[in-house]
Amino acid sequence: MNCTRLQQVLDAHIDDELDRNTTGDITTHLSECTACAALRDQRIALRQDLRAHAPYFNAPATLVPTIRRSLGRALIQSEAKAKPRATGLSWFHAAAFATVAALAGLIGGYWLAQPLPDYPLRDPAVASHVAALAPARQLIQIASSDRHTVKPWFQGKTDFVPPVKDLSGEGFALLGARLDQVADRQAAAVVYQIRKHVINLFVWRASDQAPDAIASASVRGFSVTTWAADGLRFAAASDVDTRDLTRFAQLVAAP
Amino acid sequence: MGTLGGFALSDTSKLSRFESVVLVHLDAAYNLARWLTHDAAGADDAVQDACLRAFRFFDGLQGPSPKAWFMAVVRNACLDWLKDQRVRGAEESYDDELHASATNTTESTVARDSDAHWVRSGIAALPREYREVLVLRELEELSYKEISAIVDVPIGTVMSRLSRGRDLLQQRLLQSRERKRS
Repeated sequence: MNCTRLQQVLDAHIDDELDRNTTGDITTHLSECTACAALRDQRIALRQDLRAHAPYFNAPATLVPTIRRSLGRALIQSEAKAKPRATGLSWFHAAAFATVAALAGLIGGYWLAQPLPDYPLRDPAVASHVAALAPARQLIQIASSDRHTVKPWFQGKTDFVPPVKDLSGEGFALLGARLDQVADRQAAAVVYQIRKHVINLFVWRASDQAPDAIASASVRGFSVTTWAADGLRFAAASDVDTRDLTRFAQLVAAP
Repeated sequence: MGTLGGFALSDTSKLSRFESVVLVHLDAAYNLARWLTHDAAGADDAVQDACLRAFRFFDGLQGPSPKAWFMAVVRNACLDWLKDQRVRGAEESYDDELHASATNTTESTVARDSDAHWVRSGIAALPREYREVLVLRELEELSYKEISAIVDVPIGTVMSRLSRGRDLLQQRLLQSRERKRS
C-alpha cells in the first residue's frame, strides 16, 4: 500500500470500518512510514478533542411529556376520523362518539400516567457504573473468571439468580461480581471486560414480567443497554461503543 | 386485538412499543436536531414533528436498526424546519450554547475553556453535510452503514464526507491554536 492509497482509507481505518486484510496492510504501512503515522496521530488527537469537548445536547425533560400528549392527541384524532360519518348526526351517533372519545381519553390518560419502561434507569445505571470505577470503591467482591464460582456467590445475597455467562470466546472476559444498587434498587453487578474497557452488567428484579427489547443509548459518552426478560431487568453500562455493548447484551440475553 | 367502541385496544400496546423502540433514542434525536438547526426551540419542534411522523409509520417499521430509522425521520424533520425558516426569511438562527462566545466570560474561563470553545464553534461552522456525518459518527458512534441509511447516501459518500469534514475541522482547530499562541 502506498501513501496516497493509505490517506484515502485512513479515516475508515480509524473508524474500524475496513476488512481484516486491508487493516493488516494499513498497520504494516503505518509502522514503516512516519509521515502517515503522524497523520493518523493527528486524526486520533482530533477524535479525542471532539469527544472531550463537543457538547452533547440531551433532550430537555419537558420534551417527553409534550411528545406523549401530542401522540395521545394524534391517536384520538385518528380514531375519531376513522369513525364512519353518518349523514345526520343522531343522538345515538353523538352518544356513541362521546363514548369513543371518553374511552380514548381514558386509555390515553392511563398510558400518559405510565412510567417510562426503563430509560429513566439509564442515568442511574451509568451513575452506578462510574461510582464502581472510583478508586476508593471495590469493583469486585468475588473475583473469578469461572461462572460456576461467580453465580453461586449470589446465593443468600439476592432473591433472584442473575445469569452469569462465559463469553471469553467472544472477547468479553468475566472478572467477577459484587452487590450494588441502581437508583434505590438492590442489584447484582456482574463485571466483564473487553479490551481495556470494564462492563458492569446490573441485574435486578423487575416490577412486572413483561419482557423488553434490547435498547442502547449513550449517556454522557457512556454506552448503556437495557432490556428485560424472565422477570429480571438488565442494564449494561460501559465506555465501549454502543455497538459492542449491544452485541454483549445480545450474547447475555441469548437463551 | 379486539376493538371496543371503535377504539383499537392494540393502540395502547403500540404506544408502549413506540416508547421502548423509538423514544429511547430521544437524546440522540435531540442532539442531532440541535446540531442541525442550531436552535433550541427549532430542535424541540423538529423532534416533536419527527415523533408524530415516526408514530404514524411505526407499524411499517422494518430493518435492523430502529435508531437509524428514527434518526432519518428526525433529520428530515430538521431539514423541513430549516427550509421553513428560509422561506420565512428568518435570520440565521443563532444558538447561544453552540456559539458560546468569549465576550461574556472572564479571562480565566476563556483560557480554560478555549479548546471546548473552538471545538464546538468549529463543528457548528462546518457545512451541514459534513457536520451531520461527524455528529453521527463521533457523538453517536454509529457505523457507516447506519449513517448511510440516515443521510440517504452511499457508504462511500459517508466515508469521503467524514474525511473532508475532519480535514476542515482539523485545519480550523490548528489555525485557532496558532492564533492563540501569537
